[in-house]
Amino acid sequence: MPEIALTTWQILLLKVAVILVVVPMGALVGGYAEHKVMAHLQHRLGPMYPGGFHGWATTLADGIKFLFKEDIIPAAADRKVFSLAPAAIMVPIIMVYLVIPMDRTLVVEDLDVGIFYLLAISSLSTIGILMAGWSSANKYALIGALRSAAQLIAYELPIVLSAAAVAMLAGTLSLNGIVEAQNFPFILWPPGIGLALFLVFVTGAVAEMTRVPFDMPVAESEIITGPFTEYTGMRYIFSHMFAEMGHMVAFGGIATTLFLGGYRPIIPWEPLELIPGVVWFAAKTMMMIFLFLWIRPTFPRVREDQLQKFAWKFLIPVSLALILFTGAWVLYV
Amino acid sequence: MATTEDRVVDASEVAAEVSRGNLLTEEMVLNVGPQHPATHGVFRLLATLDGEVLVNADPVIGYMHRGYEKLVEARDYRQITNLVSRMDWLSGINNELPLALALETLMEIEVPARAQYMRVAMCEMNRILNHLMFFASFGAELGAITPTFYAFREREDIQMAMEMTTGGRMHFGFFRPGGLKEDAPKGFFQQALKGVRQVIERLPDYENLLIGNEIFKQRTVNVGILPQDVAYSYGVSGPIARGSDISFDVRKDEPYSSYDHFDFNVHSAPNGDCFDRFWVLLHEVVESAKIVEQAIEGMPDGPIMGKVPRVVQAPKGEVYVRTENPLGELGMYLVSDGDRRPYRLKIRTPSYSNVSALPYVLKNTYVSDMIAILGSFFFVLGDIDR
Amino acid sequence: MAVDEHNLSEARKLTDARKLSDARKPGFGLGLLKGMAVTLKHLFKHNTVIQYPDEKQVLPSRTRGVIALKEENCTVCMLCARECPDWCIYIDSHKEQIPAKRQGGRPRKRNVLDRFAIDYALCMYCGICVEVCPYDALFWSREFEYAEYDIRELTHEKEKLSDWMASVLPPPELEAGAELPGRLAAAATTTDAPSRTATPASKPTQTSSAVETRSEQAADAPKAPTAAPTASMQESAEERTPQATSATQVEEKIAPDKAESSPEEPSAGGGRGMDKDEGVPATDSPSGEGTPAQEPAHTHESQAAAPPEPAPIPSKEAPPSAAELDAVYKEVLEEQLARGSSPQVAEARAKVARVKAERRVGRTPTPVHTDKPVPSAPTRGEPSSPTPSGAPVAEEPQPEQGPVAATASEAERDPEPQGAAPEPEASAEPEPEALADPEPEALADPEPEASAEEDPEAVYERVLAEERAKGSSDVVATGRAKAARVRAQKGTRGPQG
Repeated sequence: MPEIALTTWQILLLKVAVILVVVPMGALVGGYAEHKVMAHLQHRLGPMYPGGFHGWATTLADGIKFLFKEDIIPAAADRKVFSLAPAAIMVPIIMVYLVIPMDRTLVVEDLDVGIFYLLAISSLSTIGILMAGWSSANKYALIGALRSAAQLIAYELPIVLSAAAVAMLAGTLSLNGIVEAQNFPFILWPPGIGLALFLVFVTGAVAEMTRVPFDMPVAESEIITGPFTEYTGMRYIFSHMFAEMGHMVAFGGIATTLFLGGYRPIIPWEPLELIPGVVWFAAKTMMMIFLFLWIRPTFPRVREDQLQKFAWKFLIPVSLALILFTGAWVLYV
Repeated sequence: MATTEDRVVDASEVAAEVSRGNLLTEEMVLNVGPQHPATHGVFRLLATLDGEVLVNADPVIGYMHRGYEKLVEARDYRQITNLVSRMDWLSGINNELPLALALETLMEIEVPARAQYMRVAMCEMNRILNHLMFFASFGAELGAITPTFYAFREREDIQMAMEMTTGGRMHFGFFRPGGLKEDAPKGFFQQALKGVRQVIERLPDYENLLIGNEIFKQRTVNVGILPQDVAYSYGVSGPIARGSDISFDVRKDEPYSSYDHFDFNVHSAPNGDCFDRFWVLLHEVVESAKIVEQAIEGMPDGPIMGKVPRVVQAPKGEVYVRTENPLGELGMYLVSDGDRRPYRLKIRTPSYSNVSALPYVLKNTYVSDMIAILGSFFFVLGDIDR
Repeated sequence: MAVDEHNLSEARKLTDARKLSDARKPGFGLGLLKGMAVTLKHLFKHNTVIQYPDEKQVLPSRTRGVIALKEENCTVCMLCARECPDWCIYIDSHKEQIPAKRQGGRPRKRNVLDRFAIDYALCMYCGICVEVCPYDALFWSREFEYAEYDIRELTHEKEKLSDWMASVLPPPELEAGAELPGRLAAAATTTDAPSRTATPASKPTQTSSAVETRSEQAADAPKAPTAAPTASMQESAEERTPQATSATQVEEKIAPDKAESSPEEPSAGGGRGMDKDEGVPATDSPSGEGTPAQEPAHTHESQAAAPPEPAPIPSKEAPPSAAELDAVYKEVLEEQLARGSSPQVAEARAKVARVKAERRVGRTPTPVHTDKPVPSAPTRGEPSSPTPSGAPVAEEPQPEQGPVAATASEAERDPEPQGAAPEPEASAEPEPEALADPEPEALADPEPEASAEEDPEAVYERVLAEERAKGSSDVVATGRAKAARVRAQKGTRGPQG
């Protein structure tokens, strides 16, 4: 095969292009999975028509439909902020994908500060939500945005702390390094602590995505969809649908990387190494996504103040304690 | 009705207040409804909010008033039977029962035993339908979207039983003074028992999804407490009253239509919060299933219509009949002047009185609690407004 | 605030107090896991979703989908339009004069239906019009897919309403223990019975205790004064058992039940499973008397329900062929002419004789098999079976089920005396009469006893005995006897002379 010499810039552009294809695809597939999996959990079928075979083209059809919707900006809204908010929400999510390793070399950029970068970037979307709520000139949107901001900030900490514990276990902040350090996935080893860290992380992730059971800002704020009430058409898709689905896949990927062993097989057994890493990664991410989808129809919503109490009075102390235990483990085991 | 006018606030005033250590806040009047997914129909609640706390709540009803009591003055009793099942539409046949009983009392008709047992079986099946619907809506308002679909699936079997007998799934028009319109077709008993047993089989699902769920408990335990004396003074009845420690059930205390032949319990709970009301609802489903089984397995043979004159004319007189609607005590006060049409039919609906207790319960609750409380106050708009 | 202690009983309060207080305690997250298990279980369960419109649910036959009109039966009595709570039935008609059939006759007036429309945009699908129609012109059909884009299209005119008749189903068989309406029970039990056994007149001495099982009751054929009814009952009982429908057994029971004049007959047999003294439901005295009251209400059901009887009512003789019927016609015609009746009268009587000879076989409405496709897409589940439609055939005039028909049936059995009997009568009183039934008492009684010589009281007794022997109902028997007595008193002639 002839060697194609590409400059670093060209390679980078190529990788970015791949990401820009992967993320929407992920969102589409995630959205379809949400429809169908939730439907079957609820003893019904879900979409069956679009595309013919069990409605595989549902999200695609939805996206095209939204293209045709009228683009409304409320008269009293702050136009610039209103238009920028979806971007402010979407871009950090896309940037998260840049460091997630799908195989040993299938990563856009293996940063040495992988986790740090990841967590920092993902919290930027909070600002986007605040922008959306504020600029909508809608009291309810504002309330939703404020609730959402409070929630996201509160649940950043459990994520960060549990990720920090993982970094301690792996000895490195780089995501590739973390995966390489997992002969056995961290969820299994250290026993107990790993599982607890995983649960804390998942709870925080679900809250970060404002999904049930923590979707108070979105589903109830007096009116549906809280900060995104005034958004229509493509703006709505980008700020709400894409964001939520993209977030879900991203967090699925991150959880896989941190706790489930990423692209490595579950146990270090020779025959399992034959299966390519991408397949392992995809399978584990899909399991994570299934977990998120499974939780959604099962639980009622947690009230805002109970949510905050849960985060500050329970999750954060627990994750601090877990850091303590992890430290002990690393030192003495 | 509480209203607040928007004051134009001067900046200096704000500064003055803040310097004194007070944060100048205003109460906001929020309109919950009449179009709102959380209220069961066109129900409007004028909520005065202080931040997240409801300071005052005024229900505004009447958006669905159809003028029943005037309509029935121009219709004869069979037509009224068809109209009246549209009040509490979730359990249509229970609305027809007090009318039939009232006429039978006035005209002194004796109803054959088979008709009475069939009436009981159908009313109890409708009670299960009603309660299942509230499992669905209560869960959905709190965010648990799955019980909705399960409940509707359970309802299908029972509705099929009703449809094969009466022809309708929601509005039946089946009870007549003296008995029933026609007898049940072959397969009704089997279908009814199947439907009811399926519900009981699947009740543990609801228990695990709702009652046993910690998040649900957090949202409903000690939320929206309706004290017993307040419930008494507002005339609250039905599962809401029984959730507030009022162990009163018309079926047990003043039995009608051979309810005293059946063995069932009346459940009540002491605390009066949303959880207790839901608990009572859940257990009432079990009891209704028991009654349906007893009624069908012990169904006597015979005619389903008593001796009724060709033209149904109630003699001069008045009667008040009350029955246990799934939502509470449904009463019909029938004043007749010997005509084919009533002179006056006053309908005492349970939801009307139940909803009147809302302002008390909603005081000083959070907005999200308001949603939970509205969900736990089982009311149907058709029942409130008639 | 004082609590009404009177209404509260300790036994009912908090039947499961401990369970409730346990349930209220927050768990440690186990409840969450149980909930997740529930949803996961449903993920793997077989899905019961019916994907409309590719798959459709098979609806029960009583489903109120659309109302169909059988135009032939409508006599424009306007009862449906009057009773409709929404006033959504629009009927127009005009009266037509039909000229007299023969000289000196009176022209008849007939109502002709111009317009019959139901506005389904207003209709509340209560079914009062269907229930109230005395001529069974309206039927329920379970078709519901007739939504329109234009609301004016929702007013179905009579052509469209008649089209819906193709989808009308017969009423379903009733549940076990149901009491069948009077006519159905009558039709079922009077196969070739010499009497109308379903009426109370024939079995006043029936005793059946509440604990008798149905088989016993069926076997305990009514110990009637006349042997013939018993024989017929047992015959029909035997004929029926192979068909083994509970409805049939009920019919046997109903006949004795109806005979019960005493109120101690409860909802008969105490019901299934109620023999265990669990609380036999309160007896209802008007159970027997209730049935006549419900008869009018169930007319259309009985008429329509008669066809789905599992097998046609077996007849003792083969149906007469067309040649035989012609022969009867000719015979009666000649005989009448010979007697000196006017040509019209002779023809009329001959026609009647012919019809009766024919009808001897087909006492109940002929079942109609509709193979017409139901106007909806193929259904999932059982295929639509070509069961007989409940609508009676329009072409054949319905046999009258009233008292007249019964006696006519008696006459049918033996067309011969009909020819012979009026002879002496006709000679005595050659009164021309159009399309009148022959004098019943004259038919059953081959003795050409001129009634004029008899004492009116004796006439009364004789006619009463004759009627009873034939099995006419009490009312009819006494009525005819009285009429005969009056005629004897006044010396006037009867309908047939």
